[in-house]
Amino acid sequence: MDRRDALAKMFSAKGVRVDTNRGEAYYKRLRETMERRLSELRNAPAATKMDIHKVLEAEGLSRRDFMKWASAITAMLMLPAPFTPLVAEAAELMNRVPVIWIELQDCAGNSEAILRSDAPTIDELILETIDLEFNETLMAAAGHQAESHLDEAMETFKGKYLCVVEGSVPVGAGKEWCTIGAKGETFEEHLQRVAGSAAAVVAVGTCATFGGVPAAAPNPTGAVGVQDIVKGKPIINIPACPANPANITGTILHFVLTGQIPELDHLNRPKFAFGYRIHDNCERRAHFDAGEFVEEWGDEGAQNNWCLYKMGCKGPMTFNNCSIVRYNSGTNWPIGAGHGCIGCSEPQFWDKYAQERPMADTEFKAPTGGVEKSVDQFGLGLLTAAGIGIAVHAAISATAGKKDEE
Amino acid sequence: MKPGYKRVKRMTAFMRINHWVVAICMVAAVATGLYIGHPYYQTLIAEPAVDKYVMAWNRWIHLMAAIIFDVSSVVIAYLYFFSRFEKPYKKLLPTPKNIREFIAVFVNLITFNRVKKFDSSHSDSFNTVYFFIFHLMLVWMLLTGLQLYVQGLESGHSSIGDWWPAMLHLVTDWTIPFTGGTNMDVRISHHTTMYFIIVWVMFHIYYQVWRTIFWQEGDIAIVFGGSKFVKEK
Repeated sequence: MDRRDALAKMFSAKGVRVDTNRGEAYYKRLRETMERRLSELRNAPAATKMDIHKVLEAEGLSRRDFMKWASAITAMLMLPAPFTPLVAEAAELMNRVPVIWIELQDCAGNSEAILRSDAPTIDELILETIDLEFNETLMAAAGHQAESHLDEAMETFKGKYLCVVEGSVPVGAGKEWCTIGAKGETFEEHLQRVAGSAAAVVAVGTCATFGGVPAAAPNPTGAVGVQDIVKGKPIINIPACPANPANITGTILHFVLTGQIPELDHLNRPKFAFGYRIHDNCERRAHFDAGEFVEEWGDEGAQNNWCLYKMGCKGPMTFNNCSIVRYNSGTNWPIGAGHGCIGCSEPQFWDKYAQERPMADTEFKAPTGGVEKSVDQFGLGLLTAAGIGIAVHAAISATAGKKDEE
Repeated sequence: MKPGYKRVKRMTAFMRINHWVVAICMVAAVATGLYIGHPYYQTLIAEPAVDKYVMAWNRWIHLMAAIIFDVSSVVIAYLYFFSRFEKPYKKLLPTPKNIREFIAVFVNLITFNRVKKFDSSHSDSFNTVYFFIFHLMLVWMLLTGLQLYVQGLESGHSSIGDWWPAMLHLVTDWTIPFTGGTNMDVRISHHTTMYFIIVWVMFHIYYQVWRTIFWQEGDIAIVFGGSKFVKEK
């Protein structure tokens, strides 16, 4: 083997390659599952008159754009290219999967991220065509009318609908202040009722997944995430603030395609979206390795797109696909815009990630009590105390100590 | 050798080599670890197209020091029970004899050597407990450090095979809920423990020098030549 072959072998060693190819047999089985599922859906009645092709036409997007999008989503879901027609078909059948979208303690930012784009992407348009049975923000109905509609939808699609939840659930003192509907249900009761007869629960945004901003210290409402409340149901967490529409679409598409939930990590996040750190696919990663950091906003480094680690970027500890998928129609993302990652897709991000300090300068509660000190301040205090202790002992030893006789 | 003194062996050659390897690794790990947590100097190469790899080299040294540390810890853990020279676990058991010795050595320290009621020729219980605390902190650094490291092996593959990240997840994932539930808590714990280790080292060096001065038995020589001197009775 010559040197060139040896190098080629070294860099294509099995151990350093991501296994996106699971073998013929696996994909054959998967294709059969999907085809069975899609034919079932095709024969089911469409719940809405919304047709993706009409929506796309109205927005001036061609069939070609749609197929380009389908192949991109196929890649995002880590499926081989021949699955593209299935993904496209699933997108067309999205109007056959009923979705009940409830809002709890939140800012509706996840809905806004999807709805409020001046140039909506196909990801966002797809979500317009889903069979959205209930959504407090969008629906015209109110009061008893809305409530009876919810009851009807839950009865009709019992065990078949996806329950999408946005916002955290207050369970602490004062949870009675958060009620919904004409009957004055608390958020917890509301969630339990709607999630109870759903096929699966999709928690969208960091509030719904981990409590998010409402759960930040001192957490006055005792806010928790959906997974802390709903038991015995498959739960898919799609955190981030706001959750990326591409990831919401990807998850729902996966459900449409297979009738199952995607592969999840230890925090119930889909692995296709949250399997990798921001840091590992960051466009500024080379500057991190080179030790080239932005020292203050607007300095020479900032103008040269250097690494934002010293400005508090939490990319090395945050699992999300922003660095690949980006936001706002793939326009940009926080690090691309010159601000570090605040770790919004991680639990307790507001308390532990979202500050403009490097990791070592993180504020934390010192063991000495309620005073917040950074790790280094605390450490220097500890070293000083130890130094003083040693100095005192040495001084007394020197003056009052007794040396053994030689 | 002075008449009336005899030489006692206290550390084998391996123990001494291990001590200095660990000492060098610790200095390297602290210097590079502080840089990784908060890069405290800048890359002073203005040329854009130069292979400056400052953070990467810092991480390389940190991880190398760590892995040498880890292997040394495994060996030391083995020696705790199976050393043919001295089995440290025997001094850790809370037997009445060990407790008496521990208190006697501690009293010696706080009375500035005015009271000395124990045999200082062998490794005493107080010292062994003190080293045991160090080894516990090292194990904690090993577990949290490997947890932080495995976060970068998301694909589940590594250059030495899939077993490595799989094993690291199995052995270290519990440190996340244990420290508070986020990756940040593991990092904070890793960083804070460093300061406790530095404090440990400060007292360790001071105490060995203090013993040398006040006991007059050449304790500091143990780590260089392997032996100290005690008065013959």
